[in-house]
Amino acid sequence: MLLPSFDYYHPQSLPEALSLLGEMGDQARPLAGGTDLLVNLKLKKLAPKVLLDLSGLEELQGNGTDEGLVSLGALNTASRLASGGPEVPGLLAMGAGSLGSPQVRNRATLGGNLVTARPAADICLPLLALGARVVLAGPSGQRQVSLDGYFKGPGYTVKEPGEILTHVLLDAPRPGVGGGYQKLGLRQAMEIALVNVAAHLELEDDGKTVALARVALGAVAPFPMLSPGAAQVLQGAPAGEKIFTEAAEAAAAEARPIDDHRGSAAYRQDMVRTLTLRALRQALSQAQGSKEEQA
Amino acid sequence: MSGNFEVIGSRAPRKDAPNKSTGKARYIEDIKFPGELAGALLQSPQAHAKIKRIDISKAQALPGVVAVITAQDIPDVKYGVSPARYDETLFAVDRVRYVGDEIAAVAAEDLATALKAVELIEVEYEPLPVLLTVEEATAEGAPWLHDQFPDNVCAQVEQEFGDVEAAFAQCDLIQEGSFFSKRQDGAFIEPNQCVALMDSDGVLNLHSSTQVPHYVQRTLAMVTGLSMSRVRVVKPYVGGGFGPKASATPIDLAAGFLAMKTGRPVRMAYTREQVFLFSRARHGFTHHMKIGVKKDGTLMALDHQATLDGGAYSSFGIATVYYAGSLLGGPYKLPNMRYHGLRVFTNKPACGAQRGHGGVIARALFEQQMDVIAEKLGMDPIELRLKNMMETGDVTCNDLAMSSLGMRECIEAVKNGSGWDQKKGKLPPGKGIGMACGFFVSGAGYPIYRSETYHCTIMIKADEDGGGIVVYTASAEIGQGSETTMAMIAAEAVGIPYEQVRVKSGDTDFGIDLGAYSSRTTLMTGHATKEAGENLKAMILETLAQELGIDQSRLDIKNGLVKISGEPVDFSAIRTGYIKEHRGWQDQPSGEELTFREAARLAYLRLGTLVATGKYKPPVLGGKYKGAAVGTSPAYGCSAQVAEVSVDFETGQIKVERITDAHDCGQAVNLTSVEAQMQGSVSMGLGEALFEEVKFDGQGRILNPSLGEYHIPTVMDMPETKCIVVESGEPNGPFGAKEVGEGAIMPTIPAILNAVRNATGLVLDETPLTPERVYLALKKQKGA
Ligand SMILES: Cc1cc2nc3c(=O)[nH]c(=O)nc-3n(C[C@H](O)[C@H](O)[C@H](O)COP(=O)(O)OP(=O)(O)OC[C@H]3O[C@@H](n4cnc5c(N)ncnc54)[C@H](O)[C@@H]3O)c2cc1C
Repeated sequence: MLLPSFDYYHPQSLPEALSLLGEMGDQARPLAGGTDLLVNLKLKKLAPKVLLDLSGLEELQGNGTDEGLVSLGALNTASRLASGGPEVPGLLAMGAGSLGSPQVRNRATLGGNLVTARPAADICLPLLALGARVVLAGPSGQRQVSLDGYFKGPGYTVKEPGEILTHVLLDAPRPGVGGGYQKLGLRQAMEIALVNVAAHLELEDDGKTVALARVALGAVAPFPMLSPGAAQVLQGAPAGEKIFTEAAEAAAAEARPIDDHRGSAAYRQDMVRTLTLRALRQALSQAQGSKEEQA
Repeated sequence: MSGNFEVIGSRAPRKDAPNKSTGKARYIEDIKFPGELAGALLQSPQAHAKIKRIDISKAQALPGVVAVITAQDIPDVKYGVSPARYDETLFAVDRVRYVGDEIAAVAAEDLATALKAVELIEVEYEPLPVLLTVEEATAEGAPWLHDQFPDNVCAQVEQEFGDVEAAFAQCDLIQEGSFFSKRQDGAFIEPNQCVALMDSDGVLNLHSSTQVPHYVQRTLAMVTGLSMSRVRVVKPYVGGGFGPKASATPIDLAAGFLAMKTGRPVRMAYTREQVFLFSRARHGFTHHMKIGVKKDGTLMALDHQATLDGGAYSSFGIATVYYAGSLLGGPYKLPNMRYHGLRVFTNKPACGAQRGHGGVIARALFEQQMDVIAEKLGMDPIELRLKNMMETGDVTCNDLAMSSLGMRECIEAVKNGSGWDQKKGKLPPGKGIGMACGFFVSGAGYPIYRSETYHCTIMIKADEDGGGIVVYTASAEIGQGSETTMAMIAAEAVGIPYEQVRVKSGDTDFGIDLGAYSSRTTLMTGHATKEAGENLKAMILETLAQELGIDQSRLDIKNGLVKISGEPVDFSAIRTGYIKEHRGWQDQPSGEELTFREAARLAYLRLGTLVATGKYKPPVLGGKYKGAAVGTSPAYGCSAQVAEVSVDFETGQIKVERITDAHDCGQAVNLTSVEAQMQGSVSMGLGEALFEEVKFDGQGRILNPSLGEYHIPTVMDMPETKCIVVESGEPNGPFGAKEVGEGAIMPTIPAILNAVRNATGLVLDETPLTPERVYLALKKQKGA
């Protein structure tokens, strides 16, 4: 398969990239790892005249923590996220580690995953459950958007063509917080999930009561979705099987899967229930584990 | 096991390992010719339609386009695999029969231009009813895909051996079951590609990624109207084949025509999607079986029906439908067997041969039913198999002669190797263990076309300085290791170290070889290589005996040294002559014994260049009944496997945790290669059991023509695999060797099915065992 021809730019700063993007409008596409973009070019799904390689942008690299807020650069590769570290929540590491294969993870970036916005995207789901905000830089400055409200449709988000996603912001990992990630597919690797679930739990100081919960569901709606019902069931309740089962039920009720050649809607709905329960159990054990560690 | 070998049975490093591991191996993609044109195919977007009009004028007018050809520009010659069923034309004449059917080809200065030109070809279609299933194709009033095949029946087989009804009347238990499998893709790593060019001798050279240079040469010659000697096919390194590369492709032929027309080299390549469109891989099978046994477990009779969804053309299908029946003749004593086979045309890509040709799903159902029978009779599944298995010397009811059969050794090896007795019936919930057996031909007894041709010929030439030998073979190294195998066999036969043998293969200028299919190369090409090696050795020893004035029977060569029995013999004149010839060299022969180098050099000085040849074709084999040619082989490999699985009851997900695999390959030529074939078979069988399915939409378009959406196992899905090599010593094989490439896949699917049944109690009748399928079956079981 042949790549169509295009012009290639390698800007060295964010302002330069933004001004190029501003000049060329939707004729241009940012290029990060290329694991989505180049595939789509070859399949002739996209035919931009210009590719704007982001790899020279210092502003999109690196991670940092400031006043309990973690900032993760858009150019973090899935491999980097999967290997964890103090700024990377365990939930995000699990999701990133389940993406594709080692080769794909070495190329695929956080920004690319968020902009491609596939319904089962393995980096989107953890970030959604973690309550992350994306930072978008555009011609008229920066804006922050909560991920809950960022996704609009498959491959379609609130990001404007002239904007570049620079980084995401989320709460720094802390004791009493845990995550669970469950991905169901045919294979153990190189697999887009049939259903995936990311669960995030924050416990009160008693180590039992749920202070806050978010459950994100993949491949059961046009884009990664949160289950408000599950969150509501969990909030303020004592963490445990009973409430997790109810939350799983609520998540399954809110999922909106469709039938396609990869699986039926009914099966996916049932799997939301099973995977949510498992993800919550996993999140609880991580949250309690982190508390014990601290003690 | 049988012999006292120097080279055979070792783990000699593969001849291609240095090139492949350093990226130096040249595949067709890496071989460039000056002045190449790029070719591209126009393939039908419609599954079934009449062609009303083709207009190539816009494509021809595009700058950079050098040639555009359609059915009008080439001889009207039908081809295919089996001559009795030639039903393909390179380009559609007036009708297309599947999405992907070839209509035209373009050659242009570059690929982008060729692809653009293909888009500019205008075709007016008149849609015809699209028949996508066997039911639709055989329905009353369905249009026929081919005028010469009424009712869309490609082939029908009726066979009965013994008296099935009479046997059923004596049975205590009659077990019935059905099975449905899905179409597979070969999923070899290297998509088909070729370059054709005319040389200055007027020979059409085709370099192609194929398993069968000889059949490609024959088809290309027949379709172009050239003689065989005016067509040469060369196979560089090939990235796998598994069956779908065992016949000429439309790009082989189109590139040939375009090269003839333009006088320039023309390269054509399939994309991954086009690999799926060409297909020629595993059929979707439907089987029904009725198996009768006595109370003590004695197998009495099998009544078997198989229906194959063949796709749009015959391809290998006639062989497939016969194999689906004949490969149940063993490895158990089964005195009565009836088979009704049917292969039907549908508007989908043609299916063909794939590893375990025709037999895999029949074996899956049969072995699954064996387990059910064992349970109903209160027997252990292994005990039931041991009771019925064949032994060396047995002949099946359909005349397949088991000249060696280590079935018992295989069964016992997997029983002990897996810890069967400690595990069966004692595993925790969600875990299961199951076993199965199988067997396969070690080379088809007959060529695809009727002929008395040798199946392979070999030339071995000794280096003029005596330093080594070169084996010339037209056989096809496709990654399975046949070059290594032939080098080892030649080294053993001549009596020299493996390192002194070079192999040149895959070129039709080197002789005849039917190619890499039906697990034939080790046994057949191996025989010819052994014969050539022995002939070469005899030539050298005859000259040496004359020179030394002794009887030739006193001489032998082993490990590069001449062995002289009896009284010591003075060979100093030969050595002195050699040393004088090589003044200045640092590695003069020394030591007590005359070397191969000196002896071979002497023979060259007396006779000129030393060339010895070998050849092989099987003896007349098997039965006289219709279809007896499919399934007869000089030898049969057999195997047994135990699978251990865990089943997730809440998701339906199956994980194959461990496979214990034993295979009787007669004699391992290269132990590492035998184990690699066993592991590869497990991987392919596991994929078919759990993941693989080519899916179509309602218009006959493939929904998942990529290795992202068509799931083959990754290394992460591979179970821990324990390979146990059994060596029964095959009298009809070179140095006792027989197949491992396909027999090893036979037990994988049923062993997994039986393990899943052991874990869940479910008799699942449809592959792949996707989580959803298993989950629904579990749900139904719970409800029931
Ligand atoms: C073989 C294979 C397997 C895969 N498996 C998985 C999987 O298991 N799970 C999964 O979720 N995904 C998977 N993917 C999809 C893909 O790898 C991910 O979506 C990846 O995160 C995309 O990142 P990238 O850097 O490669 O994006 P690119 O391809 O470079 O870009 C993707 C899109 O985002 C835009 N973009 C990228 N970065 C920015 C930015 N900073 N600002 C604005 N726009 C931007 C690009 O213009 C483009 O439109 C797979 C892909 C392949 C090829």
